[in-house]
This record gives sequence, C-alpha cells and structure tokens, in this order.
Amino acid sequence: MTPEMKSAIDAEIQANKILVYGKGTKTMPRCGFTLETIQFFQAFGYPFEVVDALADADKRQALAEMTDWPTLPKVFIAGKFYGDTDILEPMRESGELQKILDDTFAESRI
Amino acid sequence: MITHEQIETLIRAALPDAVVETGDRTGTLDHYNLLVVSRGFAGMPLLDRNRLIYSALGDALKDGRLHAVEIKTAVPESGS
Repeated sequence: MTPEMKSAIDAEIQANKILVYGKGTKTMPRCGFTLETIQFFQAFGYPFEVVDALADADKRQALAEMTDWPTLPKVFIAGKFYGDTDILEPMRESGELQKILDDTFAESRI
Repeated sequence: MITHEQIETLIRAALPDAVVETGDRTGTLDHYNLLVVSRGFAGMPLLDRNRLIYSALGDALKDGRLHAVEIKTAVPESGS
C-alpha cells in the first residue's frame, strides 16, 4: 500500500466517529451485509458514515492489510477497528457497544 | 459453491476439535452462516476468533467458491 493511500484512509477514520467501509452507499447498498450494518447503526441514532470501497481495489487491499480482516464491511469506531456485525452484535447484546458509542459521542459535547 | 463438508474440513485443519454448523443463507451454497464451537477459542477475543476462521477459509474466499460468511463462535460449555 502506498503512503498516500494509508494517509487517506487514516484521515477518513479520524474524521468519522463511526465509519463503515462497505459495498455501495447508505442510500444504495450493494451487499446484504453492508445493508445489515447500515440498519444496525441506524438503530442507535448516532451519525455514521459509509464509504464505498467496492470500486477501488487498491483501497480494499490496503484496508485488508491494515486491519488483518479480509472482508467488507469493516467498521471503525473512534478510530478503532471492530470488524463487522458478527463482532458488534454480541457487543450490542451485552450493552458494551452502547457504552462505547455514548462515550465516543459524549466527548464531542464538552 | 462449497459444501458443508468442505467448509468443515477447512476449519478443522486449523481447529481440529471444531464442531461446525453451517446454514446456506441463499440456497446457492456460497453465502453461509457458520457456528464454530472449539476449545481453541478459550480466552481469544472475538476479532481474533473470526480472523482465524477467515484465515482457515482463505482459499475458498479468494477463489470465489465462498462469497460471504456470517460467523458465530463459542467455546464448549463443559471443560472436558
């Protein structure tokens, strides 16, 4: 991966408290798992961004290397990688995810 | 396309004690739900459990036999 690609991805991750790299967009998801992830975060009510990584093979490869995770979607919260809803759903059930999101968005109100 | 037996074989190569349940999500044998139960997951974070399974399924994911998987993991309840 080029340094430019890594910087661009790092900047995107920093700019969005919840960031989903998926296939397609919020309004036109092109994969069932991306749609599921969008619906998953809509239920929390916090703002989130979806970036379409389908069209850019170099970016998909860079993301896979950075996260050691081969598939899309990939979810980042407050700059940290959380995998996908296979990981996030058990965290939602335990209440852990609500706390992480509340803490993440509380900071911005100070 | 990939069969239940082929998925189980790939996962057991990495986790010999794994009990693998599969569900064909779409009827096309390329989108699966997986439940993998193994003592090897004890003490392992969910991210690393799923990385291990993706790695075990790597070739099938790369060559397109397997398009997508939803993964659940567990450790067997009895320690025996």
